[in-house]
Amino acid sequence: MKILVPVKRVADPDNANKMKVTADGSAVTSEGLAWKVNPFDEYAVEAALRLNEKGGSGDVLGETVVISLGDDEVIQTLRQPLAMGVDRAILVKASDGEIDSTVVAKALAAVVEKEQPDLVLMGKQAVDGDSNTAGQMLAEHLGWPMATFAMSIEVADDGKALVVGREVDTGVLTLKVTLPAVVTVDLRIVAPAAVKNGVTPDDHAYNEGARYASLKGIMKAKKKPVDQTSLSDLGVEASPLVEYTKYELPPARSGSATFVESVDELVEKLRTEAKVL
Amino acid sequence: MAISDDDLAALRAAARVSTEAGDLEAYGGDWTRVYAPAPGAVAFPRSTEEVAALVTICHDREIAVVPSGGRTGLAGGAVAARGELVLTLDHMRRIDPVDVVGRTVRVDAGAVTEAVHEATAPHGLTWPVDFASKGSSHVGGNIATNAGGVKVIRYGLTRQWVLGLRVVTGTGAILDLGGALEKNNTGVDLRQLFIGSEGTLGIVCEATLKLARPAGHLDVLFFGLRDLASVLALFHAARRGPFEISAFEMLTDRCAARLERHRGVRPPLEAGCPMYALLEVEAPDREGLEAWLGELLEDDLVIDGTLAANHEQAARLWELREGISESLAATGLPHKNDIALPIAGLTAFCADLEALFARRYPDLEICLFGHIGDGNLHVNVMKPDAMDKAAFLARVHEADEAMFALVRSHRGSVSAEHGIGLLKRDWLGYTRSDGEIALMRQLKAVFDPKGILNPGKVF
Repeated sequence: MKILVPVKRVADPDNANKMKVTADGSAVTSEGLAWKVNPFDEYAVEAALRLNEKGGSGDVLGETVVISLGDDEVIQTLRQPLAMGVDRAILVKASDGEIDSTVVAKALAAVVEKEQPDLVLMGKQAVDGDSNTAGQMLAEHLGWPMATFAMSIEVADDGKALVVGREVDTGVLTLKVTLPAVVTVDLRIVAPAAVKNGVTPDDHAYNEGARYASLKGIMKAKKKPVDQTSLSDLGVEASPLVEYTKYELPPARSGSATFVESVDELVEKLRTEAKVL
Repeated sequence: MAISDDDLAALRAAARVSTEAGDLEAYGGDWTRVYAPAPGAVAFPRSTEEVAALVTICHDREIAVVPSGGRTGLAGGAVAARGELVLTLDHMRRIDPVDVVGRTVRVDAGAVTEAVHEATAPHGLTWPVDFASKGSSHVGGNIATNAGGVKVIRYGLTRQWVLGLRVVTGTGAILDLGGALEKNNTGVDLRQLFIGSEGTLGIVCEATLKLARPAGHLDVLFFGLRDLASVLALFHAARRGPFEISAFEMLTDRCAARLERHRGVRPPLEAGCPMYALLEVEAPDREGLEAWLGELLEDDLVIDGTLAANHEQAARLWELREGISESLAATGLPHKNDIALPIAGLTAFCADLEALFARRYPDLEICLFGHIGDGNLHVNVMKPDAMDKAAFLARVHEADEAMFALVRSHRGSVSAEHGIGLLKRDWLGYTRSDGEIALMRQLKAVFDPKGILNPGKVF
């Protein structure tokens, strides 16, 4: 099947340089940050590749396309899914100020009209804004069936439907969605046996987690096409509904350690200094 | 030289001293776990002056002293198994403000390596001594053992990053050996004698450390290879690559199998390979790095490989190397050796080693890994499940002798970075000559005339 995977570029939280806020709190600065694919979107890429491959054979059952919104730098981030095995990428050029979930959902809907995928598979949310809205809005715009928080996907009815295990508070809710559909994925979709496409043998050993780009994949990715378009090309107005009024960082942690000579001294200090006894 | 009640009273007048069973057990050993800790007492000095006062008493009364840091050593250098006084620097952890212009920081010996990294990071500086045990190891212990680690290929050993030392000798005298001076050509550099002396000449109490700017963005690559010769060919190619190497590490499929059994992790490659290599580089020229990777594939040097896409993937690749020691210990009983060979002779040595074990010790499994870029191999011999511990230890002792004879014939070292301590004492003569060892003993007599500092260690 043809699968479209929207991915978002987010700041890598493990990088030494962290997100900063301007002195007046009006904006977030991205200087010195390292970027990576939003982890949930990376899981969606992995799930899409598992759906579209005959495990281990190199045969592909359909085209997998990634799409992102942002500036030219985002192309660098898109190289990772391409190196993992995705066939091609689409970049919708836009600046951060022009987009929020509503604009993203409209732009994705416009691309879906053009590309006609059988499935849109995406992360349940991005780890920066944590909004958890784009997938749902997209399904609404398209009028397609939707299954969120997928932790398992199985192809059913000769490829005309998916059986999706949804992670909900009380356990797992299993839904059958007719294709075309929008599915958003949760962490456990990259468990070794979470995705079954009916073609890959059940005993094929997938690693836990999203696959690493192989050297061959990295080389091939350099030659894969990244089609560029823009919001206006897609007929989407850059008018976000969410307005950000102020940013602030969480308070810094405080605390220090001192040595005590004895248990008695510790108890004394807990009583008189820490005042917790 | 047991510690009497009278000795204890005298020592207690100088600093806090404990004889509690928990302290004796905790402070009497290190990571070797071969020797049962049995110190007589543990002293917790809070300053260099208190250390000097304690050692003066020990000198007068001929009490043996074992200096103790973060106790992460792998050669038994900090083991007190014969009623000694353990002198722990655990309560001397002060880190002074960083001198950002001079790029130095003065610290107490008990400062934890990682704490030094954390203290210097906000100034855009770091102390480039780095290894898996950085969360426990002390600066003093790093200096006393001239610690190595995973970044030696780029930054060198601990020795390169120490400007000044304050040490207490075996008579209780305090020596100030250089301060924050980058240049100080004024005779014999006594400071260097104490670096790597494993507590046999004096106790490192304070140090002025040289700092460097941290590396920029580091890319981590992981390769699957056919054999050791390919690993060395890859290293040669990496030396000529358009980047700066900060680590080049190797492990065999046996290490990988133990990692999978213990931690459930495996190399993220399509299929298993006989050898794996981890390469960490600072590559500002991304295009250049990718072109270099393309050449590797064209030359068929590697079977498969990957480049971490982000910090999380990089950390997971590092886990495949840094998790080995723990996974070997969790899946069996490893007998550890840490040897160094001239890089040019590594392939020949490993072929000889393999042949030796195949011929004489076919029942013993060798798990080989190490800092191949430094010619440093960690040879871990695993106890077969069916063999009892005493029989195994006797057998590896015999195997060690044969292996160290090989090391000597290949002009290598019986201890690359772990030191000699107790564990390798019998083998020192395989790397150092009788004349050298005699000179070491004479030097010890100068700084520690009564031989109270870490007796029985090194030589």
